[in-house]
Amino acid sequence: MPIQTRVVDRPTTETSYVRATFQGLALTFKHLVDPHKVTVQYPEEKWDIGPRWRGTHRMLTTEDGKAKCVACGLCPTVCPANCIKLVPGVDEQGNRYPAVFDIDEFRCIFCGYCQEVCPEEAIHLGRHYENAEYDRKDFVYDLKRLTSQTHPVCELWDPADPKGE
Amino acid sequence: MPDQKLVNVTIEGRPVSVPEGTTILEAAKTAGVLIPHYCYHPGLKIAGVCRMCLVEVEKMPKLAPSCATTVAEGQVVNVYSQKALDARKGVLELLLINHPLDCPICDQAGECELQDYTFQEGRADSRYREPKRFNPAEDFGGDVLYVTNRCILCTRCVRYMGDVAGDRALCVEERGDRAKIGIAPDHDLSHAWAANVVDLCPVGALVSKDFLNKARAWELDRTASVCPNCSQGCNITLETRDGALMRMKPRSNSEVNHFYLCDEGRLNYQWVDRGDRLEAPMVAGQAVSWEAALTAAGAALTTGARHVVASPSLSNEALWLLKQAAGVGTFRVAQGTEAPLPGVTDLARRADRAPNATGAELLGFTRAANPLSGAGDVVVIAGDDCAGLDTAALASAKHVIFLGTAAPAALPVGAIVLPIANFAEEEGTFTNLRGRVQRYLQARPAPGFARAGWLAMAGLASAAGKGGAYTSAAAVFAAMAKAESAFAGMSYDTVGLKGQTAPGARVNA
Repeated sequence: MPIQTRVVDRPTTETSYVRATFQGLALTFKHLVDPHKVTVQYPEEKWDIGPRWRGTHRMLTTEDGKAKCVACGLCPTVCPANCIKLVPGVDEQGNRYPAVFDIDEFRCIFCGYCQEVCPEEAIHLGRHYENAEYDRKDFVYDLKRLTSQTHPVCELWDPADPKGE
Repeated sequence: MPDQKLVNVTIEGRPVSVPEGTTILEAAKTAGVLIPHYCYHPGLKIAGVCRMCLVEVEKMPKLAPSCATTVAEGQVVNVYSQKALDARKGVLELLLINHPLDCPICDQAGECELQDYTFQEGRADSRYREPKRFNPAEDFGGDVLYVTNRCILCTRCVRYMGDVAGDRALCVEERGDRAKIGIAPDHDLSHAWAANVVDLCPVGALVSKDFLNKARAWELDRTASVCPNCSQGCNITLETRDGALMRMKPRSNSEVNHFYLCDEGRLNYQWVDRGDRLEAPMVAGQAVSWEAALTAAGAALTTGARHVVASPSLSNEALWLLKQAAGVGTFRVAQGTEAPLPGVTDLARRADRAPNATGAELLGFTRAANPLSGAGDVVVIAGDDCAGLDTAALASAKHVIFLGTAAPAALPVGAIVLPIANFAEEEGTFTNLRGRVQRYLQARPAPGFARAGWLAMAGLASAAGKGGAYTSAAAVFAAMAKAESAFAGMSYDTVGLKGQTAPGARVNA
């Protein structure tokens, strides 16, 4: 038995491109007359990013310019991407400090756990997105780089509403 | 102990039978309940000062300190009743009043009982609004630093130094909230066993200067081992990070070292990570494959009279296979002063500063002041670093086969060198001076092509045509137990991780 087929007349109104073309052109001409801005003129104009943006790291410093970090080892422990290398040391005053503190920003998944776990509020994620480098190895941020950066830092939570209610 | 009367008690709904006179805290351990405690330690006298181990005992009017209360027939103990929890919460709050919140820089963090119990049972916040008491840290001498602020005055260190170490160097000085651990004038913690106070301290008040700021407790990998620094054979835990030995801690064994480890034992570990290790087998100064080196060594062994220099730092397995390959020989033992721990029977830092002199003797090796004297045509040096020996005999030997971790300067250019692992890099057993055979496990890989002592010796034995096809240290030990009457009937299973006295040693002793 042959497969039963039924020939249906093609609808003319919905498939005709003429109407759609004019509709599209109408939208184009509308924008020509009344331009509402969508395109951001980067890099002259910068994008406005939110307070909880999680970008590349920054290490906050004390008044005398030293990193706030006390090398407690919580951030390398909590880091799910294992991107923080920390070697503790002892300075002249007998204080614990990070002799080596490297963050591999390629490995980082920007979860923000390091900032959340830090008891000294030293390591922060940055509200920052311009990360281009000429060399891959420059993406391993050392302590000097982490402390010298000045971009604003992430607010992981709204201080007025810490539980997000 | 068949004549001991058993007492039936119920702890947290679990019935247990314990010998009469057991404390509630110990009885709870057998029931699988760890009652929080600070001042109590099984190795020390009971003080009952911290009040952390308060539990509710039915039909008792008040909460009872479980460390100082013995069990009675039919007792029902509630460890986690609301009343007991509230009491312990109060104790913790008071302990934390002057305790600094410096866990991030405290070496004890991660293995701190104050941290653990506060996390389990303490308050989430403090109601104390006054400034905290501050006292500077004090250097107590030896390896011990006293961080006064962190102290919770459990007095474990005071009791240890007085009752176990027999040196009343520590006391509690001042009163009330000014109280702290004081050190007697003209005293310091340079006692040979003083660093145990660091392990006993439940918080970070007494910390090791050697380990200070070196590693975090949770980063360390722990391996059961045996201290290689004297013939007492204290059970230890090797704590490594990324393959580097960070510290050695005592591992409790009621037959050997109880809870303790001497200062020299715990601090003499830097040699394990020495940088000048032998990494590849060498023949006449050229690095070659193990097969080539073993073939050369096997051929050399048959060329004349053999003279074997062993080392009391080699495992029983390696020594036995050395005996198979080249026959018995002599060894020397570094000597030091003996330093007993008065509070524990038969525990001392022994004069023989090597872990396996007894094992070597049981296998037929003999002590000699200069093991190299009267060398034969073929000299086999296994494990001895030749330091301070008259090495003139080496020059006249036809062949020199050296098995060791680092090459001595006096080694002739033509020597056959086989690199072996040290005790942290291989599995094996040591026999302590009482003939107790104790296992140690591998904590990290050996450098380069270095092989475990027993594996290198097995290769040597098979190259010399004396058997030696073994695939594990356990198999070597089993074969040794069959062949040597001193170790008859033993195996890795019967030795376990706490050791077993060798039958041969029992006869000799």
